[in-house]
Amino acid sequence: MPPRLELRGVSKTYHDGGQAVEVLHDISLSAASGTVTALLGRSGCGKTTLLNLAGAMDFPSTGEVLIDGRNTGSLSESELTGLRRKRVGFVFQFFQLLPTLTVLENVELPRMLGHALSPPGTARERLQWVGLEEKAASFPYQLSGGQMQRVAIARALVNSPDLLMADEPTGNLDTASGDQVLALLRESATRFGTTIVMATHSAEAAAIADVKVSLRDGRIVSIDRP
Amino acid sequence: MTMLRGWTLESWFVFRTLILRPLWHDPLRTALTILSVALGIAVVVAIDLAGDAATGSFRSSMETLAGKTDLEIVANGGINETWLAALSSLLFDAQFSPVVETQALVPGAGSVPLYGMDMLRAAASAEPQEGSATTDKPHVVVARRLADKMGWKRAQTFNAKIAGRKVEFHIAFIAESGSAEYLAIDIADAQQALGRFGKIDRIDVNVGHDEDPIKVEAAVRKILPSGYLIQKPGARSEENQRMLKAFRWNLRALSYISLVVGAFLIYNTISVSVVRRRAAIGILRAVGATRSTVLAMFLGEALLFGIVGAALGVGLGRLLAGGTVELISGTVNALYTTSRPGAVSLTSTVTWIGIVTGALVALASALAPAREAMTVAPTEAMSRGAHEHHARLRWRRALLWSAIFALLSIAASQASPLNGYPVGGYIAAVLSIASAAMASPAIVLLVNKATRWMVRGRVVGLLAARSLTASLSRTSVVVAALATAIAMMASVGIMVGSFRETVALWLDVQLRADLYVSPAMPPGAGAYPPLAPEVEPILRSIDGVAAVDVFYGVEFHYHGERATLGAGDLEIVRRYGRMRFLPGQDREGILRSLPGHDRAIVSEPFANKHGIHAGDTLTVPMGDANIPLEVAGVYYEYSSSQGYVIVDRSTMSRYLPQQPVTNAAIYAVPGANIDRIQQQIQLRTANYGVAVTPNRELRRNAIAVFDRTFAITWALEAVAVVVAMLGAANSLLALVLDRKRELGLLRYLGASSRQIQGIILTEAAFLGFLSGLVGLLLGFAISLLLIFVVNKQSFGWTIQFHPPGVLLAGALFFVWFVTVLAGLYPARVASRLNPVDVIHEE
Repeated sequence: MPPRLELRGVSKTYHDGGQAVEVLHDISLSAASGTVTALLGRSGCGKTTLLNLAGAMDFPSTGEVLIDGRNTGSLSESELTGLRRKRVGFVFQFFQLLPTLTVLENVELPRMLGHALSPPGTARERLQWVGLEEKAASFPYQLSGGQMQRVAIARALVNSPDLLMADEPTGNLDTASGDQVLALLRESATRFGTTIVMATHSAEAAAIADVKVSLRDGRIVSIDRP
Repeated sequence: MTMLRGWTLESWFVFRTLILRPLWHDPLRTALTILSVALGIAVVVAIDLAGDAATGSFRSSMETLAGKTDLEIVANGGINETWLAALSSLLFDAQFSPVVETQALVPGAGSVPLYGMDMLRAAASAEPQEGSATTDKPHVVVARRLADKMGWKRAQTFNAKIAGRKVEFHIAFIAESGSAEYLAIDIADAQQALGRFGKIDRIDVNVGHDEDPIKVEAAVRKILPSGYLIQKPGARSEENQRMLKAFRWNLRALSYISLVVGAFLIYNTISVSVVRRRAAIGILRAVGATRSTVLAMFLGEALLFGIVGAALGVGLGRLLAGGTVELISGTVNALYTTSRPGAVSLTSTVTWIGIVTGALVALASALAPAREAMTVAPTEAMSRGAHEHHARLRWRRALLWSAIFALLSIAASQASPLNGYPVGGYIAAVLSIASAAMASPAIVLLVNKATRWMVRGRVVGLLAARSLTASLSRTSVVVAALATAIAMMASVGIMVGSFRETVALWLDVQLRADLYVSPAMPPGAGAYPPLAPEVEPILRSIDGVAAVDVFYGVEFHYHGERATLGAGDLEIVRRYGRMRFLPGQDREGILRSLPGHDRAIVSEPFANKHGIHAGDTLTVPMGDANIPLEVAGVYYEYSSSQGYVIVDRSTMSRYLPQQPVTNAAIYAVPGANIDRIQQQIQLRTANYGVAVTPNRELRRNAIAVFDRTFAITWALEAVAVVVAMLGAANSLLALVLDRKRELGLLRYLGASSRQIQGIILTEAAFLGFLSGLVGLLLGFAISLLLIFVVNKQSFGWTIQFHPPGVLLAGALFFVWFVTVLAGLYPARVASRLNPVDVIHEE
């Protein structure tokens, strides 16, 4: 059985004013179902780019990204949309909740975009799971940072994706809120079997990971499997 | 001045980087805004230039023939020739030249002005030419332009019809005429051709160099009857301009619609500019920029749009004027007076007025957002969300203002006309627009709430609806701009539709005769070419004719305004017609009371213009006498805003015995074959240049003239709608660019590009719907102002309210559809955004 996520010799080059900038170089790694992988490294080392490639939001310049053995580069636009809806969830450092929607509507959004991929009531269940059911009718500006990130996790998991890409999920939170968020991420991997890839600077965040991948200047310098 | 003193090299650097560079990098939006201003100014300039060209050419072609005169003497129904001898006996160095003026029908050239004048004097002022032969045919001087057009040479002969009679002319001279076209013959020949012996239309007075014109005028006035009018030669042109002032004023007001719509869009553009650069403004303020620098920056941006747009608009307006002049000229000729369109000339005054107007409108529109930018605190780098949150909180205050403007609008609509202009009506219309604009945020929120059930569970609809309320300040400006354009379209549509229906109903009751006979000349308002005297007896002798109602029309002057003095057989009108009088006036009694008495009926516009009511007495100069006429009633009439005074033919014959019949209405006996009667008339009047028009055709022609008259109105409406559409596209594009992050996020959350397009198109549809709703409500309000205030005060007509439902529904659907189309490009831009880039930018 293939790993849930596999990157084979992935490189990514951007062109800036005619000059080629390689942000990732020959990255190969894999993640099994229900595991948490932490991507560690300084700002600009390529963590976010790697998350985007792994979440099928972007494509490598060379190499392959395989999700359950299928190369994302070979998928059509509609297949990619389907993949993002059903298989991948994202959590961002700055929460990225839509300010015009209520908390419940924010969580419901991927479900609605995917034409009700999950059963009705899933959004409420996820909110309950992150402990914010009573905030369902609130708007994001009425929540604290920690609460917003928990809503973002509920949203990312509403369609029960196989993969969750988390980009500095605690980077904008105080310690207590960060701990709550990390506990939720860990639980989602354990309870729902979600494969989590998390970019982070934080040692606390890295501590919940099954695999720690250190990056420097777009290259893997170490892979730590405890 | 403080603002200007603060404008330094640093300010220029800030302006260049914060304003010019973003404009340069967003060429489509910049171009759309400039184009909106350009179209608004172009329409204003085009209407001004075309109006001048179409109505400014009243200078008589006589002037080119006989030279400049100092005074002219005119009289209703013509001047008795005997007064000429009395004038010539005055001991002044002055020449008195009699003139007879009519139209000749020249095959191949149409209707041409023909002057009968003292040929000895005319010959003295024209270039003498060799070889003019002596013949018994009337000698004619032909304007060079007409001769060239017809290929005529000196000493050649040609045929023309005067008062229905064929006359063969011998060309004695070809006179240099500039752009004028005319024929001039000896006054005796003209009087003979017209059968108007002893009558002349005008006496031109030339005062000698050493003579005091004021003294000459006083002496002339002393000996002539008091009903005769002594005026400066430009008086007729001034009279024409005065007569057209309401028409031109209303046209000019309509031309400003596009500019008003454009003003909303500049407001929107500058608001977007401020919102986008809020953080940058905060930083600038933190590093020492003054408030006035920030204000000047955004006003500078607006000024740039205004000046560049207006400069383009002036050029575009000059081009548009060329196509518009014929339309305006057609209306002037159909409804007011005969005029020949002159050349369109773009003067530096018009150019500067256009540019200054563009700049001022842009500055005025940008003032509110620029002031808001000025208030951004140095520490403030607020998000749009917070700004929009404030906008949402302000909707109640805006609604209060809306109510205040609505009340002020009602108050303004009650005002009397100012110097003949419906100023109150227009102020009321502007206040209504302001009221609707202020109500827009509340309406957006209300409709959004009311339609919440429609978007429940529909993600595209939900996101679109929420996004529009989230950008409330911007959404409501776009709605106000589109709604203004729609309202103007709807209100003018309702006004024109109601007017058309009123005219159609009026034609139905007014035109009861079976056939109408008139001289075969192109129709022209204020021109009453005579029927040959032989025609009336022929009409009466034809089998199947039950009654012939002959009409005598003569243009006359009343209190400095021109109108028509008409006469007919009012007993026939009573028996056969269905003339309608104002409520409470007894038609039968009124029409019975006219024959044999110095009584008149007046048309509604005449009564309104001069403040006349039934029972009043009018003093109308007829020939040498001033005749007091008791007003028996006021009747509905829609063919002339100048108005009619109608007497019985017996009254006309008593005071103006030589007045020729100008047209006739034929009533057939019941069951008679109308076609056969028409054929008979055509056959027996073949030599008299007569046109016979059946009832149905005359009605059709009248409606066609009506439709042509309002064609320009529709063209102006169309431009306003185009400007609004550009605005819709511009605003939707701004919404897309401002929501890049949100749209990118949706892609991360699994939205397909079709869903993203769907959101933007749904927003466009929602904007179109809201604008249609507000526009229709506002349009109804403005149509009431146009019908019952502006029209009534400008033209004096009573228009019945008949909204053209199908036309309005079609137009609204069309505007809605085009608004959705306007969303296509922004939708495409939205769907092509790279989510990774836009999320990463954050």
